[in-house]
Amino acid sequence: MPPIVKATNLTKSYSKGILALDNVSISVEPGEVLVVMGPSGSGKSTLIRTFNGLETFDSGQLNILGISLDCQNNEERKIRRIRKRVGMVFQQFNLFPHLSILENITLAPIKVQKKKRDDAEQNALILLSQMGIASHAKKYPSQLSGGEQQRVAIARALALKPELLLFDEPTSALDPERVNEVLDAMRRLATQGMSMVVVTHEINFAKEVGDRILFMDSGKVIETSTPDIFFLNAKHERSRKFLNQIKKK
Amino acid sequence: MKNRYKPIKYIKRVAFSNKLDSIISLTIISFGLVFLISLVKWVIFSANWNVVRLNLPLFFFGSFPNDQLWRPGLWISLFAILSFTTLWGPPWSWLRKNLPLLWVSFAPIGVFLLAGGCGLSPVESRNWGGLTLTILLTSCSAIISLPLGIALALGRQSALPVVKKLSSIYIDTMRSVPLIAVLFFGQLLIPLFLPVGLEINRVCRAIIAFTLFVSAYIAEDVRGGLQSIPRTQQEAGEVLGLHPFQITYLIILPQALRIALPSLTNQAVGLLQNTSLMAILGLVELLGIGRSILANPEFIGRYIEVYIWLAAIYWVICTVMALIARHLEQQMSLEKKDL
Ligand SMILES: Nc1ncnc2c1ncn2[C@@H]1O[C@H](COP(=O)(O)OP(=O)(O)O)[C@@H](O)[C@H]1O
Ligand SMILES: [Mg+2]
Repeated sequence: MPPIVKATNLTKSYSKGILALDNVSISVEPGEVLVVMGPSGSGKSTLIRTFNGLETFDSGQLNILGISLDCQNNEERKIRRIRKRVGMVFQQFNLFPHLSILENITLAPIKVQKKKRDDAEQNALILLSQMGIASHAKKYPSQLSGGEQQRVAIARALALKPELLLFDEPTSALDPERVNEVLDAMRRLATQGMSMVVVTHEINFAKEVGDRILFMDSGKVIETSTPDIFFLNAKHERSRKFLNQIKKK
Repeated sequence: MKNRYKPIKYIKRVAFSNKLDSIISLTIISFGLVFLISLVKWVIFSANWNVVRLNLPLFFFGSFPNDQLWRPGLWISLFAILSFTTLWGPPWSWLRKNLPLLWVSFAPIGVFLLAGGCGLSPVESRNWGGLTLTILLTSCSAIISLPLGIALALGRQSALPVVKKLSSIYIDTMRSVPLIAVLFFGQLLIPLFLPVGLEINRVCRAIIAFTLFVSAYIAEDVRGGLQSIPRTQQEAGEVLGLHPFQITYLIILPQALRIALPSLTNQAVGLLQNTSLMAILGLVELLGIGRSILANPEFIGRYIEVYIWLAAIYWVICTVMALIARHLEQQMSLEKKDL
Protein backbone atom coordinates (compact mmCIF):
# COMPACT_ATOMS: atom_id res chain seq x y z
CA MET A 1 0.00 0.00 0.00
CA PRO A 2 1.26 3.50 -0.72
CA PRO A 3 1.98 5.73 2.29
CA ILE A 4 -0.87 7.83 3.66
CA VAL A 5 1.34 10.87 4.04
CA LYS A 6 4.48 11.43 2.05
CA ALA A 7 6.30 14.69 2.64
CA THR A 8 9.57 15.41 0.89
CA ASN A 9 11.82 18.35 1.71
CA LEU A 10 9.01 20.53 3.04
CA THR A 11 10.10 24.07 3.77
CA LYS A 12 8.09 26.94 5.15
CA SER A 13 8.72 30.28 6.75
CA TYR A 14 6.09 32.66 8.13
CA SER A 15 8.42 35.62 8.08
CA LYS A 16 11.75 36.09 6.44
CA GLY A 17 14.69 34.42 8.10
CA ILE A 18 12.90 32.04 10.49
CA LEU A 19 12.12 28.61 9.07
CA ALA A 20 9.08 26.97 10.66
CA LEU A 21 9.75 23.90 8.53
CA ASP A 22 13.28 23.22 7.34
CA ASN A 23 13.61 20.47 4.76
CA VAL A 24 11.22 18.08 6.50
CA SER A 25 10.75 14.63 4.98
CA ILE A 26 8.46 12.08 6.58
CA SER A 27 6.03 9.40 5.57
CA VAL A 28 3.17 7.77 7.43
CA GLU A 29 2.17 4.22 6.55
CA PRO A 30 -1.40 2.93 6.71
CA GLY A 31 -2.35 1.98 10.26
CA GLU A 32 0.70 3.68 11.70
CA VAL A 33 0.72 5.99 14.73
CA LEU A 34 3.36 8.65 14.30
CA VAL A 35 4.03 10.69 17.43
CA VAL A 36 5.54 14.12 16.86
CA MET A 37 7.52 15.58 19.74
CA GLY A 38 9.67 18.64 20.19
CA PRO A 39 9.96 21.86 22.16
CA SER A 40 7.43 24.62 21.74
CA GLY A 41 7.92 26.57 18.52
CA SER A 42 9.74 23.73 16.80
CA GLY A 43 7.19 23.54 13.97
CA LYS A 44 5.08 20.55 15.07
CA SER A 45 1.76 22.31 14.53
CA THR A 46 2.92 23.82 11.28
CA LEU A 47 3.89 20.39 9.99
CA ILE A 48 0.63 18.60 10.69
CA ARG A 49 -1.40 21.61 9.56
CA THR A 50 0.18 21.35 6.12
CA PHE A 51 -1.22 17.80 5.95
CA ASN A 52 -4.80 19.07 5.58
CA GLY A 53 -4.08 22.36 3.90
CA LEU A 54 -4.54 24.63 6.93
CA GLU A 55 -1.03 25.89 6.19
CA THR A 56 0.71 26.25 2.85
CA PHE A 57 4.40 25.47 2.38
CA ASP A 58 7.08 27.20 0.36
CA SER A 59 8.86 24.31 -1.33
CA GLY A 60 8.99 20.53 -1.35
CA GLN A 61 6.45 17.85 -2.21
CA LEU A 62 3.48 16.70 -0.20
CA ASN A 63 1.19 13.81 -1.02
CA ILE A 64 -1.79 13.00 1.19
CA LEU A 65 -3.83 9.87 0.46
CA GLY A 66 -2.60 9.91 -3.10
CA ILE A 67 -3.53 13.55 -3.67
CA SER A 68 -0.52 15.75 -4.18
CA LEU A 69 -0.56 19.30 -2.89
CA ASP A 70 1.48 22.01 -4.56
CA CYS A 71 3.35 24.56 -2.57
CA GLN A 72 1.37 27.83 -2.27
CA ASN A 73 -1.64 27.84 -4.55
CA ASN A 74 -3.91 24.85 -4.34
CA GLU A 75 -7.35 24.50 -5.70
CA GLU A 76 -9.85 24.83 -2.89
CA ARG A 77 -11.76 21.81 -4.13
CA LYS A 78 -8.67 19.65 -3.95
CA ILE A 79 -8.02 20.69 -0.37
CA ARG A 80 -11.62 20.02 0.57
CA ARG A 81 -11.32 16.57 -0.97
CA ILE A 82 -8.41 15.87 1.36
CA ARG A 83 -10.20 17.32 4.37
CA LYS A 84 -13.15 15.02 3.88
CA ARG A 85 -10.76 12.11 4.37
CA VAL A 86 -8.49 13.55 7.07
CA GLY A 87 -9.83 14.36 10.53
CA MET A 88 -8.25 16.83 12.91
CA VAL A 89 -8.49 17.33 16.68
CA PHE A 90 -7.29 20.61 18.16
CA GLN A 91 -5.76 21.51 21.48
CA GLN A 92 -8.71 23.76 22.34
CA PHE A 93 -11.42 21.32 21.13
CA ASN A 94 -13.03 24.03 18.95
CA LEU A 95 -16.53 22.61 19.25
CA PHE A 96 -19.33 24.78 17.88
CA PRO A 97 -20.84 26.35 21.02
CA HIS A 98 -24.20 27.15 19.43
CA LEU A 99 -24.85 23.55 18.41
CA SER A 100 -25.72 20.59 20.63
CA ILE A 101 -23.24 17.73 20.94
CA LEU A 102 -25.27 15.68 18.48
CA GLU A 103 -25.47 18.59 16.02
CA ASN A 104 -21.73 19.17 16.34
CA ILE A 105 -21.11 15.63 15.21
CA THR A 106 -23.78 15.35 12.51
CA LEU A 107 -23.08 18.73 10.89
CA ALA A 108 -20.39 17.55 8.48
CA PRO A 109 -21.95 14.17 7.61
CA ILE A 110 -25.21 15.95 6.72
CA LYS A 111 -23.78 19.02 5.00
CA VAL A 112 -20.63 17.59 3.43
CA GLN A 113 -21.43 13.94 2.84
CA LYS A 114 -25.15 14.65 2.27
CA LYS A 115 -26.19 11.84 4.60
CA LYS A 116 -29.75 11.55 5.86
CA ARG A 117 -30.24 13.14 9.26
CA ASP A 118 -31.48 9.88 10.82
CA ASP A 119 -28.48 7.91 9.61
CA ALA A 120 -26.07 10.62 10.68
CA GLU A 121 -27.61 10.80 14.16
CA GLN A 122 -27.57 7.06 14.58
CA ASN A 123 -23.91 6.95 13.64
CA ALA A 124 -23.18 9.90 15.96
CA LEU A 125 -24.79 8.10 18.88
CA ILE A 126 -22.70 5.01 18.21
CA LEU A 127 -19.55 7.13 18.17
CA LEU A 128 -20.59 8.93 21.36
CA SER A 129 -21.17 5.67 23.19
CA GLN A 130 -17.78 4.44 22.01
CA MET A 131 -16.40 7.60 23.58
CA GLY A 132 -18.42 6.89 26.71
CA ILE A 133 -20.49 10.09 26.54
CA ALA A 134 -23.72 9.03 24.86
CA SER A 135 -25.73 10.53 27.72
CA HIS A 136 -24.53 14.03 26.78
CA ALA A 137 -25.90 13.99 23.21
CA LYS A 138 -28.56 16.65 23.85
CA LYS A 139 -26.32 18.97 25.86
CA TYR A 140 -24.27 21.91 24.65
CA PRO A 141 -20.46 22.08 24.69
CA SER A 142 -20.30 24.58 27.56
CA GLN A 143 -22.08 22.04 29.77
CA LEU A 144 -19.29 19.49 29.37
CA SER A 145 -15.89 19.16 31.01
CA GLY A 146 -12.75 19.64 28.94
CA GLY A 147 -12.12 15.91 28.68
CA GLU A 148 -15.68 15.28 27.54
CA GLN A 149 -15.47 18.10 25.01
CA GLN A 150 -12.29 16.68 23.57
CA ARG A 151 -13.90 13.27 23.22
CA VAL A 152 -16.78 14.93 21.39
CA ALA A 153 -14.21 16.56 19.12
CA ILE A 154 -12.73 13.15 18.38
CA ALA A 155 -16.19 11.77 17.64
CA ARG A 156 -16.84 14.74 15.36
CA ALA A 157 -13.66 13.97 13.43
CA LEU A 158 -14.53 10.27 13.26
CA ALA A 159 -18.03 10.93 11.93
CA LEU A 160 -16.62 11.50 8.46
CA LYS A 161 -14.92 8.07 8.61
CA PRO A 162 -11.46 9.55 8.01
CA GLU A 163 -8.49 7.56 6.75
CA LEU A 164 -6.06 9.67 8.77
CA LEU A 165 -6.48 11.52 12.06
CA LEU A 166 -4.32 14.48 13.07
CA PHE A 167 -4.04 15.44 16.74
CA ASP A 168 -2.42 18.72 17.77
CA GLU A 169 -1.64 18.45 21.49
CA PRO A 170 -5.09 17.03 22.29
CA THR A 171 -4.49 16.84 26.04
CA SER A 172 -2.50 20.01 26.66
CA ALA A 173 -5.54 22.08 27.59
CA LEU A 174 -6.95 19.51 29.99
CA ASP A 175 -6.81 19.17 33.76
CA PRO A 176 -4.32 16.40 34.63
CA GLU A 177 -7.03 14.09 35.92
CA ARG A 178 -8.89 14.42 32.62
CA VAL A 179 -5.97 13.52 30.37
CA ASN A 180 -6.32 9.77 30.50
CA GLU A 181 -9.92 9.57 29.39
CA VAL A 182 -8.88 11.23 26.13
CA LEU A 183 -5.68 9.21 25.73
CA ASP A 184 -7.66 6.00 26.31
CA ALA A 185 -10.01 6.89 23.51
CA MET A 186 -7.03 7.50 21.24
CA ARG A 187 -5.47 4.18 22.30
CA ARG A 188 -8.61 2.37 21.27
CA LEU A 189 -8.52 4.06 17.87
CA ALA A 190 -4.92 2.97 17.42
CA THR A 191 -5.75 -0.64 18.18
CA GLN A 192 -8.55 -0.45 15.63
CA GLY A 193 -5.90 0.34 13.05
CA MET A 194 -6.53 4.06 12.56
CA SER A 195 -3.64 5.94 10.97
CA MET A 196 -2.75 8.83 13.25
CA VAL A 197 -0.27 11.65 13.54
CA VAL A 198 -0.21 12.84 17.15
CA VAL A 199 1.60 15.87 18.48
CA THR A 200 1.90 15.30 22.22
CA HIS A 201 4.15 15.60 25.25
CA GLU A 202 2.64 12.49 26.89
CA ILE A 203 5.62 10.16 27.14
CA ASN A 204 3.67 7.11 28.26
CA PHE A 205 1.24 7.45 25.39
CA ALA A 206 4.10 7.84 22.94
CA LYS A 207 5.86 4.78 24.32
CA GLU A 208 2.84 2.51 24.34
CA VAL A 209 0.91 3.63 21.29
CA GLY A 210 3.46 5.26 19.00
CA ASP A 211 4.91 3.19 16.20
CA ARG A 212 7.51 5.86 15.51
CA ILE A 213 8.58 9.08 17.20
CA LEU A 214 9.41 12.11 15.09
CA PHE A 215 11.49 14.58 17.04
CA MET A 216 11.67 18.15 15.75
CA ASP A 217 13.60 21.22 16.74
CA SER A 218 13.73 24.63 15.02
CA GLY A 219 11.76 23.31 12.07
CA LYS A 220 14.15 20.43 11.42
CA VAL A 221 13.61 16.73 11.88
CA ILE A 222 16.26 15.76 14.40
CA GLU A 223 15.46 12.08 14.46
CA THR A 224 12.84 9.51 13.62
CA SER A 225 13.06 6.41 15.80
CA THR A 226 10.95 3.68 17.32
CA PRO A 227 9.84 4.51 20.87
CA ASP A 228 12.22 1.91 22.32
CA ILE A 229 15.21 3.61 20.83
CA PHE A 230 14.00 7.16 21.29
CA PHE A 231 13.19 6.92 24.99
CA LEU A 232 16.00 4.66 26.12
CA ASN A 233 18.76 5.44 23.75
CA ALA A 234 18.04 8.54 21.66
CA LYS A 235 20.48 8.99 18.82
CA HIS A 236 20.91 12.70 19.25
CA GLU A 237 22.16 14.86 22.06
CA ARG A 238 19.34 17.33 21.41
CA SER A 239 16.70 14.61 21.83
CA ARG A 240 18.19 13.43 25.11
CA LYS A 241 18.22 16.97 26.45
CA PHE A 242 14.56 17.46 25.53
CA LEU A 243 13.56 14.18 27.16
CA ASN A 244 15.36 15.12 30.35
CA GLN A 245 13.54 18.42 30.43
CA ILE A 246 10.05 16.98 30.09
CA LYS A 247 10.79 14.12 32.48
CA LYS A 248 11.67 16.68 35.16
CA LYS A 249 8.17 18.14 34.88
CA MET B 1 -36.07 35.68 44.27
CA LYS B 2 -36.05 35.62 48.03
CA ASN B 3 -36.60 39.36 48.18
CA ARG B 4 -39.83 39.13 46.27
CA TYR B 5 -41.51 37.73 49.36
CA LYS B 6 -40.12 40.36 51.70
CA PRO B 7 -40.78 43.65 49.93
CA ILE B 8 -40.39 45.82 53.01
CA LYS B 9 -37.04 44.33 53.88
CA TYR B 10 -36.01 44.68 50.28
CA ILE B 11 -36.92 48.36 50.09
CA LYS B 12 -35.16 48.95 53.37
CA ARG B 13 -32.00 47.35 52.02
CA VAL B 14 -31.87 49.15 48.67
CA ALA B 15 -33.17 52.60 49.71
CA PHE B 16 -32.73 53.11 53.46
CA SER B 17 -29.61 51.22 54.39
CA ASN B 18 -28.03 54.28 56.04
CA LYS B 19 -28.72 57.94 56.86
CA LEU B 20 -27.41 59.43 53.61
CA ASP B 21 -29.22 56.83 51.53
CA SER B 22 -32.43 57.55 53.38
CA ILE B 23 -32.18 61.30 52.80
CA ILE B 24 -31.50 60.84 49.10
CA SER B 25 -34.26 58.30 48.73
CA LEU B 26 -36.78 60.48 50.55
CA THR B 27 -35.91 63.50 48.42
CA ILE B 28 -36.28 61.56 45.19
CA ILE B 29 -39.49 59.92 46.32
CA SER B 30 -41.09 63.22 47.38
CA PHE B 31 -40.17 64.93 44.11
CA GLY B 32 -41.54 61.93 42.28
CA LEU B 33 -44.75 62.02 44.26
CA VAL B 34 -45.29 65.73 43.67
CA PHE B 35 -44.81 65.23 39.95
CA LEU B 36 -47.01 62.15 39.84
CA ILE B 37 -49.82 63.77 41.82
CA SER B 38 -49.92 66.86 39.65
CA LEU B 39 -49.80 64.72 36.52
CA VAL B 40 -52.66 62.54 37.69
CA LYS B 41 -54.62 65.64 38.75
CA TRP B 42 -54.09 67.17 35.32
CA VAL B 43 -54.94 63.97 33.46
CA ILE B 44 -58.20 63.54 35.38
CA PHE B 45 -59.43 67.09 35.97
CA SER B 46 -57.84 69.52 33.50
CA ALA B 47 -57.18 67.46 30.40
CA ASN B 48 -59.76 67.23 27.68
CA TRP B 49 -59.34 63.82 26.08
CA ASN B 50 -61.88 64.51 23.35
CA VAL B 51 -59.02 65.27 21.02
CA VAL B 52 -57.86 61.67 21.38
CA ARG B 53 -61.23 60.00 21.77
CA LEU B 54 -62.80 61.57 18.68
CA ASN B 55 -59.76 60.89 16.53
CA LEU B 56 -58.96 57.32 17.53
CA PRO B 57 -59.43 55.91 14.00
CA LEU B 58 -57.13 58.62 12.65
CA PHE B 59 -54.42 57.84 15.20
CA PHE B 60 -54.54 54.15 14.40
CA PHE B 61 -55.34 54.00 10.70
CA GLY B 62 -54.87 57.47 9.19
CA SER B 63 -57.39 58.35 6.51
CA PHE B 64 -57.88 54.77 5.36
CA PRO B 65 -61.29 54.39 3.64
CA ASN B 66 -63.93 53.79 6.27
CA ASP B 67 -65.35 50.62 4.75
CA GLN B 68 -61.86 49.07 4.59
CA LEU B 69 -60.74 49.83 8.13
CA TRP B 70 -60.76 46.12 8.96
CA ARG B 71 -57.60 45.71 6.89
CA PRO B 72 -55.21 47.84 8.96
CA GLY B 73 -57.21 46.75 12.01
CA LEU B 74 -56.54 43.11 11.23
CA TRP B 75 -52.87 43.84 10.66
CA ILE B 76 -52.39 45.65 13.95
CA SER B 77 -54.25 42.89 15.74
CA LEU B 78 -51.87 40.44 14.10
CA PHE B 79 -49.00 42.43 15.60
CA ALA B 80 -50.60 42.26 19.01
CA ILE B 81 -51.37 38.54 18.72
CA LEU B 82 -47.90 37.69 17.46
CA SER B 83 -46.27 39.68 20.25
CA PHE B 84 -48.48 38.15 22.89
CA THR B 85 -47.95 34.61 21.60
CA THR B 86 -44.21 35.09 21.39
CA LEU B 87 -43.99 36.38 24.94
CA TRP B 88 -46.59 34.41 26.82
CA GLY B 89 -47.86 31.80 24.40
CA PRO B 90 -47.67 28.06 25.03
CA PRO B 91 -44.29 26.39 24.45
CA TRP B 92 -45.57 23.99 21.78
CA SER B 93 -42.64 23.23 19.55
CA TRP B 94 -44.51 23.47 16.22
CA LEU B 95 -45.72 26.90 17.25
CA ARG B 96 -42.28 28.06 18.37
CA LYS B 97 -40.75 26.74 15.17
CA ASN B 98 -43.16 28.70 12.97
CA LEU B 99 -43.24 31.96 14.93
CA PRO B 100 -40.09 33.37 13.28
CA LEU B 101 -41.62 32.65 9.88
CA LEU B 102 -44.78 34.52 10.88
CA TRP B 103 -42.72 37.48 12.06
CA VAL B 104 -40.80 37.56 8.79
CA SER B 105 -44.02 37.52 6.78
CA PHE B 106 -45.57 40.19 8.99
CA ALA B 107 -44.30 43.09 6.86
CA PRO B 108 -45.32 41.60 3.47
CA ILE B 109 -48.76 40.80 4.88
CA GLY B 110 -49.03 44.44 5.94
CA VAL B 111 -48.12 45.70 2.49
CA PHE B 112 -50.72 43.42 0.95
CA LEU B 113 -53.46 44.37 3.41
CA LEU B 114 -52.81 48.09 3.02
CA ALA B 115 -52.14 48.33 -0.70
CA GLY B 116 -54.72 45.80 -1.75
CA GLY B 117 -54.77 43.84 -4.98
CA CYS B 118 -55.54 40.16 -5.46
CA GLY B 119 -59.18 40.63 -4.55
CA LEU B 120 -58.77 43.52 -2.12
CA SER B 121 -59.64 46.93 -3.47
CA PRO B 122 -56.51 49.02 -3.96
CA VAL B 123 -55.93 51.86 -1.49
CA GLU B 124 -53.47 54.57 -2.39
CA SER B 125 -50.53 55.11 -0.10
CA ARG B 126 -51.50 58.71 0.65
CA ASN B 127 -54.42 57.28 2.64
CA TRP B 128 -52.13 55.22 4.85
CA GLY B 129 -51.34 56.82 8.14
CA GLY B 130 -51.17 56.80 11.90
CA LEU B 131 -49.85 53.88 13.89
CA THR B 132 -50.39 51.61 10.90
CA LEU B 133 -47.97 53.62 8.80
CA THR B 134 -45.45 53.83 11.64
CA ILE B 135 -45.44 50.07 12.03
CA LEU B 136 -45.31 49.60 8.28
CA LEU B 137 -42.30 51.89 7.90
CA THR B 138 -40.55 50.17 10.79
CA SER B 139 -41.26 46.58 9.85
CA CYS B 140 -40.52 46.95 6.15
CA SER B 141 -37.28 48.85 6.74
CA ALA B 142 -36.19 46.38 9.40
CA ILE B 143 -36.92 43.28 7.37
CA ILE B 144 -34.98 44.58 4.35
CA SER B 145 -32.09 46.20 6.16
CA LEU B 146 -31.22 43.16 8.28
CA PRO B 147 -30.12 40.93 5.37
CA LEU B 148 -28.60 43.95 3.64
CA GLY B 149 -26.65 44.85 6.76
CA ILE B 150 -25.44 41.26 7.18
CA ALA B 151 -24.35 41.21 3.54
CA LEU B 152 -22.48 44.50 4.02
CA ALA B 153 -20.77 43.21 7.16
CA LEU B 154 -19.68 40.07 5.35
CA GLY B 155 -18.63 42.21 2.40
CA ARG B 156 -16.46 44.30 4.64
CA GLN B 157 -14.60 41.15 5.67
CA SER B 158 -14.46 39.74 2.17
CA ALA B 159 -11.21 38.50 0.66
CA LEU B 160 -12.11 40.26 -2.59
CA PRO B 161 -10.62 43.77 -2.44
CA VAL B 162 -13.34 45.37 -4.58
CA VAL B 163 -16.18 44.01 -2.47
CA LYS B 164 -14.36 44.92 0.72
CA LYS B 165 -13.61 48.47 -0.39
CA LEU B 166 -17.11 49.15 -1.71
CA SER B 167 -18.75 47.84 1.46
CA SER B 168 -16.46 49.94 3.63
CA ILE B 169 -17.08 53.07 1.60
CA TYR B 170 -20.83 52.55 1.72
CA ILE B 171 -20.93 51.87 5.45
CA ASP B 172 -18.65 54.75 6.37
CA THR B 173 -20.45 57.21 4.12
CA MET B 174 -23.88 56.33 5.44
CA ARG B 175 -22.68 56.57 8.99
CA SER B 176 -21.31 60.03 8.46
CA VAL B 177 -24.55 61.46 7.08
CA PRO B 178 -27.43 62.50 9.35
CA LEU B 179 -30.58 60.44 8.92
CA ILE B 180 -32.70 63.44 8.08
CA ALA B 181 -30.43 64.16 5.12
CA VAL B 182 -30.88 60.63 3.83
CA LEU B 183 -34.64 60.97 4.27
CA PHE B 184 -34.65 64.25 2.32
CA PHE B 185 -32.57 62.54 -0.32
CA GLY B 186 -35.17 59.78 -0.50
CA GLN B 187 -38.09 62.15 -0.86
CA LEU B 188 -36.58 64.79 -3.13
CA LEU B 189 -33.75 63.23 -5.09
CA ILE B 190 -34.76 59.63 -5.77
CA PRO B 191 -37.53 60.78 -8.15
CA LEU B 192 -34.96 62.79 -10.12
CA PHE B 193 -32.73 59.77 -10.62
CA LEU B 194 -35.51 57.52 -11.79
CA PRO B 195 -36.26 57.19 -15.51
CA VAL B 196 -39.21 59.25 -16.65
CA GLY B 197 -42.49 57.44 -16.24
CA LEU B 198 -41.30 55.27 -13.36
CA GLU B 199 -42.67 56.60 -10.13
CA ILE B 200 -42.22 55.25 -6.62
CA ASN B 201 -44.63 56.38 -3.97
CA ARG B 202 -43.53 58.33 -0.93
CA VAL B 203 -43.90 55.52 1.56
CA CYS B 204 -41.73 53.35 -0.62
CA ARG B 205 -39.13 56.11 -0.90
CA ALA B 206 -39.12 56.54 2.86
CA ILE B 207 -38.59 52.80 3.33
CA ILE B 208 -35.72 52.87 0.84
CA ALA B 209 -34.10 55.77 2.68
CA PHE B 210 -34.47 54.14 6.11
CA THR B 211 -33.15 50.87 4.73
CA LEU B 212 -30.09 52.51 3.18
CA PHE B 213 -29.34 54.25 6.46
CA VAL B 214 -30.07 51.53 8.97
CA SER B 215 -28.32 48.76 7.07
CA ALA B 216 -25.02 50.58 7.48
CA TYR B 217 -25.47 50.60 11.26
CA ILE B 218 -26.63 47.00 11.30
CA ALA B 219 -23.54 46.11 9.28
CA GLU B 220 -21.32 47.57 11.98
CA ASP B 221 -23.17 45.73 14.75
CA VAL B 222 -22.90 42.46 12.86
CA ARG B 223 -19.24 43.11 12.14
CA GLY B 224 -18.65 43.49 15.86
CA GLY B 225 -20.22 40.06 16.32
CA LEU B 226 -18.23 38.54 13.47
CA GLN B 227 -14.97 39.82 14.88
CA SER B 228 -15.62 38.31 18.27
CA ILE B 229 -15.83 34.79 16.83
CA PRO B 230 -12.38 33.24 17.19
CA ARG B 231 -10.56 32.27 14.02
CA THR B 232 -10.42 28.69 15.33
CA GLN B 233 -14.15 28.28 14.69
CA GLN B 234 -13.48 28.93 11.03
CA GLU B 235 -10.67 26.36 11.08
CA ALA B 236 -12.82 23.77 12.82
CA GLY B 237 -15.31 24.14 9.99
CA GLU B 238 -12.65 24.02 7.29
CA VAL B 239 -11.17 20.84 8.71
CA LEU B 240 -14.55 19.11 8.36
CA GLY B 241 -14.53 19.84 4.64
CA LEU B 242 -17.34 22.39 4.82
CA HIS B 243 -17.63 24.89 1.98
CA PRO B 244 -16.65 28.47 2.96
CA PHE B 245 -20.24 29.51 2.36
CA GLN B 246 -21.49 26.78 4.72
CA ILE B 247 -18.96 27.80 7.35
CA THR B 248 -20.26 31.35 7.23
CA TYR B 249 -23.95 30.62 7.49
CA LEU B 250 -23.85 27.50 9.67
CA ILE B 251 -21.07 28.37 12.10
CA ILE B 252 -19.95 31.99 12.06
CA LEU B 253 -23.15 33.97 11.42
CA PRO B 254 -25.39 32.24 13.98
CA GLN B 255 -22.84 32.96 16.69
CA ALA B 256 -22.16 36.49 15.50
CA LEU B 257 -25.86 37.39 15.37
CA ARG B 258 -26.34 36.13 18.91
CA ILE B 259 -23.63 38.47 20.08
CA ALA B 260 -24.99 41.35 18.00
CA LEU B 261 -28.58 40.84 19.15
CA PRO B 262 -28.65 43.50 21.89
CA SER B 263 -27.29 46.16 19.55
CA LEU B 264 -29.65 45.05 16.80
CA THR B 265 -32.53 45.54 19.22
CA ASN B 266 -31.33 49.06 19.81
CA GLN B 267 -31.33 49.64 16.07
CA ALA B 268 -34.91 48.39 15.80
CA VAL B 269 -36.16 50.60 18.63
CA GLY B 270 -34.23 53.54 17.20
CA LEU B 271 -35.74 52.87 13.80
CA LEU B 272 -39.26 52.94 15.20
CA GLN B 273 -38.63 56.26 16.89
CA ASN B 274 -36.90 57.71 13.86
CA THR B 275 -39.88 57.01 11.62
CA SER B 276 -41.40 60.04 13.35
CA LEU B 277 -38.96 62.18 11.35
CA MET B 278 -41.16 61.48 8.35
CA ALA B 279 -43.70 63.84 9.90
CA ILE B 280 -41.41 66.68 8.84
CA LEU B 281 -41.35 65.30 5.33
CA GLY B 282 -45.10 65.17 5.04
CA LEU B 283 -46.02 61.60 5.85
CA VAL B 284 -48.88 61.30 8.31
CA GLU B 285 -47.48 58.52 10.43
CA LEU B 286 -48.18 58.58 14.14
CA LEU B 287 -46.51 61.92 14.87
CA GLY B 288 -47.66 63.38 11.55
CA ILE B 289 -51.27 62.54 12.25
CA GLY B 290 -50.92 64.16 15.69
CA ARG B 291 -49.64 67.33 14.09
CA SER B 292 -52.40 67.42 11.51
CA ILE B 293 -55.03 66.90 14.19
CA LEU B 294 -53.54 69.76 16.20
CA ALA B 295 -53.82 71.93 13.09
CA ASN B 296 -57.58 71.41 13.15
CA PRO B 297 -59.20 74.54 14.74
CA GLU B 298 -61.58 72.32 16.66
CA PHE B 299 -58.74 70.92 18.75
CA ILE B 300 -56.56 73.98 18.91
CA GLY B 301 -54.19 74.11 21.89
CA ARG B 302 -54.62 70.49 22.93
CA TYR B 303 -50.89 69.85 22.51
CA ILE B 304 -50.23 68.19 25.83
CA GLU B 305 -53.02 65.66 25.50
CA VAL B 306 -51.95 64.67 22.00
CA TYR B 307 -48.27 64.37 22.85
CA ILE B 308 -48.88 62.41 26.02
CA TRP B 309 -51.09 60.07 24.03
CA LEU B 310 -48.45 59.70 21.32
CA ALA B 311 -45.73 59.13 23.91
CA ALA B 312 -47.84 56.42 25.49
CA ILE B 313 -48.27 54.62 22.16
CA TYR B 314 -44.57 54.81 21.34
CA TRP B 315 -43.79 53.61 24.83
CA VAL B 316 -46.03 50.58 24.51
CA ILE B 317 -44.60 49.57 21.13
CA CYS B 318 -41.00 50.08 22.24
CA THR B 319 -41.59 48.12 25.40
CA VAL B 320 -43.10 45.26 23.42
CA MET B 321 -40.06 45.28 21.12
CA ALA B 322 -37.68 45.29 24.06
CA LEU B 323 -39.55 42.42 25.72
CA ILE B 324 -39.47 40.37 22.54
CA ALA B 325 -35.76 41.04 22.17
CA ARG B 326 -35.12 39.97 25.73
CA HIS B 327 -37.21 36.86 25.16
CA LEU B 328 -35.11 36.08 22.09
CA GLU B 329 -31.89 36.57 24.03
CA GLN B 330 -33.08 34.23 26.75
CA GLN B 331 -34.07 31.61 24.21
CA MET B 332 -30.67 31.76 22.65
CA SER B 333 -28.72 31.61 25.87
CA LEU B 334 -30.95 28.76 27.03
CA GLU B 335 -29.46 26.67 24.27
CA LYS B 336 -25.94 27.13 25.54
CA LYS B 337 -26.56 27.72 29.19
CA ASP B 338 -23.67 27.21 31.55
CA LEU B 339 -24.50 24.84 34.33
N1 LIG C 1 0.60 32.20 12.11
C1 LIG C 1 1.93 32.39 12.34
N2 LIG C 1 2.52 33.55 11.97
C2 LIG C 1 3.84 33.74 12.17
N3 LIG C 1 4.64 32.85 12.75
C3 LIG C 1 4.12 31.69 13.15
C4 LIG C 1 2.73 31.40 12.97
N4 LIG C 1 2.48 30.16 13.47
C5 LIG C 1 3.66 29.72 13.95
N5 LIG C 1 4.64 30.62 13.75
C6 LIG C 1 6.05 30.43 14.10
O1 LIG C 1 6.50 29.26 13.48
C7 LIG C 1 7.31 28.50 14.36
C8 LIG C 1 6.72 27.11 14.55
O2 LIG C 1 5.49 27.22 15.22
P1 LIG C 1 4.55 26.00 15.54
O3 LIG C 1 4.44 25.16 14.34
O4 LIG C 1 3.30 26.53 16.12
O5 LIG C 1 5.40 25.25 16.67
P2 LIG C 1 4.92 24.16 17.73
O6 LIG C 1 3.58 23.68 17.34
O7 LIG C 1 5.98 23.12 17.65
O8 LIG C 1 4.93 24.83 19.04
C9 LIG C 1 7.42 29.29 15.64
O9 LIG C 1 8.61 30.03 15.59
C10 LIG C 1 6.22 30.21 15.59
O10 LIG C 1 6.52 31.42 16.24
MG1 LIG D 1 1.76 23.76 18.49
